[in-house]
Amino acid sequence: MPEAVLDRQTFREIPIRHLGGEELKRLSDDMKLSLSREDMEAVQTHFTELEREPTDVELEVIAQTWSEHCKHRIFGAKIAHTANGVQETVDGLFKTYVKGVTDEIRKRKPGFVVAAFDDNAGFIRLDGEKAVCLKVETHNHPSAIEPYAGANTGLGGVIRDILGAGKGAKPIASCDVFCFGSPDTDQKSIKAEDVIHPLGVMRGVVRGVRDYGNRMGIPTVCGAIQFDDSYIYNPLVFCGTAGVIPIADIPKEMIAGLKIIVVGGRTGRDGLHGATFSSASLTTDSHEEDQQAVQIGNPIEEKKAADFVLEARRRGLIEFLTDCGAGGFSSAAGEMLSEVGGEIFLENAPLKEPGLVSWEIFLSESQERMVLAVKEETLPELMELAETFETECIVLGHSDGSGVLKVWHDGQLVCELDCGKLHEAPRRHLVSRFDKAKGALTLELPVGDAGTRLREVLGDFAVVSREPIIREYDHEVQGNTFLKPLAGATADAPQDGAVMHIDGSKPLMAMALSLLPEWGKTDPFAMGKACVDETVRQLVACGADPSQIALLDNFCVGNPEDPGELGGLVECVKGMAEAALAYEAPFVSGKDSFYNYFETDEGPVSIPVTALISGLGIVRDGQHVTGASLRRPDSAICILGVTRGAMGGSVFARIRGVQGAAVPETDCAGALRGYQAFADALRAGLICSAHDISEGGLAVAAAEMAFSEVGGLEIDLDGLPLGKAGPGTMQKLFAEDTGRLLFEAGAEDVTELEKRFEGLPFAVIGKSVSAHGELRIEAGGERVISENLKELKTIWKSGLTPYY
Amino acid sequence: MEERPHALLLKYPGTNCDEETGRALRLAGFHPRVEMITRVSRESLEGARLVVLSGGFSYGDYVMAGRFAQLETERRIGDAIGEFVRDGGYALGICNGFQILMRLGLLPDGSLIDNTSGRFQCQWAGLEKRCEDSPYLSKVPATFELPVAHAEGRFVAADDKAQEYLEEGYVALQYTEDVNGSAARIAGLQDGSRRVLGLMPHPERFVYAAQHYDREWDGDPQWGWGHYFFEGIYEVVTAEKSTGALV
Repeated sequence: MPEAVLDRQTFREIPIRHLGGEELKRLSDDMKLSLSREDMEAVQTHFTELEREPTDVELEVIAQTWSEHCKHRIFGAKIAHTANGVQETVDGLFKTYVKGVTDEIRKRKPGFVVAAFDDNAGFIRLDGEKAVCLKVETHNHPSAIEPYAGANTGLGGVIRDILGAGKGAKPIASCDVFCFGSPDTDQKSIKAEDVIHPLGVMRGVVRGVRDYGNRMGIPTVCGAIQFDDSYIYNPLVFCGTAGVIPIADIPKEMIAGLKIIVVGGRTGRDGLHGATFSSASLTTDSHEEDQQAVQIGNPIEEKKAADFVLEARRRGLIEFLTDCGAGGFSSAAGEMLSEVGGEIFLENAPLKEPGLVSWEIFLSESQERMVLAVKEETLPELMELAETFETECIVLGHSDGSGVLKVWHDGQLVCELDCGKLHEAPRRHLVSRFDKAKGALTLELPVGDAGTRLREVLGDFAVVSREPIIREYDHEVQGNTFLKPLAGATADAPQDGAVMHIDGSKPLMAMALSLLPEWGKTDPFAMGKACVDETVRQLVACGADPSQIALLDNFCVGNPEDPGELGGLVECVKGMAEAALAYEAPFVSGKDSFYNYFETDEGPVSIPVTALISGLGIVRDGQHVTGASLRRPDSAICILGVTRGAMGGSVFARIRGVQGAAVPETDCAGALRGYQAFADALRAGLICSAHDISEGGLAVAAAEMAFSEVGGLEIDLDGLPLGKAGPGTMQKLFAEDTGRLLFEAGAEDVTELEKRFEGLPFAVIGKSVSAHGELRIEAGGERVISENLKELKTIWKSGLTPYY
Repeated sequence: MEERPHALLLKYPGTNCDEETGRALRLAGFHPRVEMITRVSRESLEGARLVVLSGGFSYGDYVMAGRFAQLETERRIGDAIGEFVRDGGYALGICNGFQILMRLGLLPDGSLIDNTSGRFQCQWAGLEKRCEDSPYLSKVPATFELPVAHAEGRFVAADDKAQEYLEEGYVALQYTEDVNGSAARIAGLQDGSRRVLGLMPHPERFVYAAQHYDREWDGDPQWGWGHYFFEGIYEVVTAEKSTGALV
């Protein structure tokens, strides 16, 4: 160790015991701790009791541990909620509506959920030996100021979550969901300097995901993009990864006497304050000042670490494992040593550059690092393994059973925190309010010329094919993508989700997701329910067993201190919980992201409350995977579910600029009976293909099904199962009522299907034909749509090509 | 004693198709063994009948694809793969493996550069068999299809070499339609001995019929064309073994 380094002071004491409330808050702001005055006072009390001042390392550790990003204090807060004039107290959103629902379902369905909420990701049982897991994270602020690197490390980070789940799950598929401004946004309409145009954000983000996922060799198999002006200043980037692991390798326990080792990349100044940066709003200054919070991705470094971890797990060398994500070593060591206690030696960490001070090493969010706890006698084998995979592996410290986390740097104690007290953040108390809009259908429904309307909807950014982006992702690496994002006879028709084969197991894993932010602008409760329904429905259409579905909830919200915005979230969470319970689909993991707003000169611009529901479903047999594309030119076309005709939130309404119209309600119990009957029919081999009816409504679903180009479609709307309101033709064509599936069956099986669906909203509404290549739809004996499918497909396929 | 013919899969940091390639080899009858380049020596090749370089991004491919892997291979084992082939062994490179074999000089001169689209392309491609003497293609039909997934798959060669290769039987596979701008639509090349094959498409991703994008695919109900690809080389290798041609 050179003299100069030894002489250098790598930490400092921060006197806080004498400070007043305002001074404490100012200190928090100056140090970018993102701690409130109340938090700082709690910290002050802690150190007053200890009769000493904290070090900068200790303050940074507490700030990171208590940050919204790491601690989810809003989902834990006590909320005084008023909905439509009725007051209630929500005693923690997470406890009441997320974990509460899951606990109830676990009681009803023992054995299905293997682990939820207590590890990096939740696990569900695939078969007797293996479990699958999924984790979805957001990387919004980094992607806003540096789209490529932000999305790149967003995916890299969630992959590490899976690698760090259990004793190391194998990542097998990824998904990505983006919310951007429209790619054709007028540059002049953006009212803040340095905000990147949505097109620049989109291109950067897609390439970021592409370069990380492809290099890691993890197929990116499903996703979604929402385009809305409300995301111009604060785009959203969700990245998710699924994994598989032997059930026996899920439990892990920290005990005293283990060595803490770090594998993978080196530690540098990139990614300082990432956790706290994510827990504040964006401003124009963010684009200049917070670059340091964005990490730099190196997928090959992570690939090497992943190969190492998976091999070490196979050899039984791992006792405990976690990833280095937000908060870096501090967070990883906190997770590992919070109960057992132990020592960390910062001088052991390999650095990217010299001169890092203690807190920088301990808090850096440099990518591609995994932290393991291992038995001392296995160190030689692990070191040899690291050499094999050309990755760096060092001993950072050990666990010691003291219950205290001590961090040393060059012989000096720079942090000594009682782990028990480290996590005691003051509970937050918040106020929220929600008033449901009137929801009258103000939409002037045009009559006639439905064909033109269909062309408009198919060409809208909300509906057009994502093919240019999907093809940039290697969605077939690992050779297990049995239902691909684009499939059907022409290999380019849209599907409802992806299905992954898992080596050595008969059951397969289906993945699907849903988000409907437009609905939430009017009715977040209905949005929450509908997102759960759509995810479940897509998984069922993909072949999943309706009784073997698990969900993830991810929320992005603007300012939680604004009662209106928080009120929308509360309603959304309640809707989602109600639906999840009805479908008995437990939440196994989730994440929330707040402060998604941008401070412009004209005031803050917030995103709408955005909920992403993603789901994992177990497909019992590959035979149940039919795809969503027409397979034969002589089939019966059937519909399951009620068309009620609410047009609020629909693409059709959006094109007309209609806001505030009532969005569809979801009858979960009714829908579930239908899904169960559908799944039975599927298992009996009676279904050829099935597509969920969602954005764009029935007309779009029918066209998309026929994009496999195996025949024309003739549909009669008169047979549709309808709601009481008696929807008109345009509503039948374009309403986005939930709970509906459009499917193809052999004409010879119609009688059998009618018997099976008796008492359910089911009808045979048409047929596929070889005589022509058109989508023909009739209503009341009149032809309302007669469109050449090839032309429709061209509109749908070319919508994004000018932009990507 | 392991009866099945050995296949050695060389893995570099960033190689990411080794597992499914190993699976495809196993299903065809081989005994595959994956070795990291850090642990490979000339002795590693002893006993192997086939050396496989699978797909991925060796060392990230931040410089020309395959270049770093070539240098590392030469540094560690020199021309051992070339000698192995001259001694009667077989070498197969898929996607990134094809790029590495090109750089190692085990295939006719040329380069694999950025697709004309400038993009990564993950799609299926129609393929046409251009030779009857490739041991790898002995069981696939005249035309078939496989998935491709690459950003640097455009084959280019000086002058009219691509056309020459076509006429002289070095071109094993052509795309039926232009996919990436490859000269003469070249998808796969072989050497003079026919024992070295490099191809951009991924046969290991279509070993099961269920991996096809179309549920109505009318091929074998169980196996995809990739399985026939690996079975082809397996049969040739085992036939040699049983006649003692190359012991």
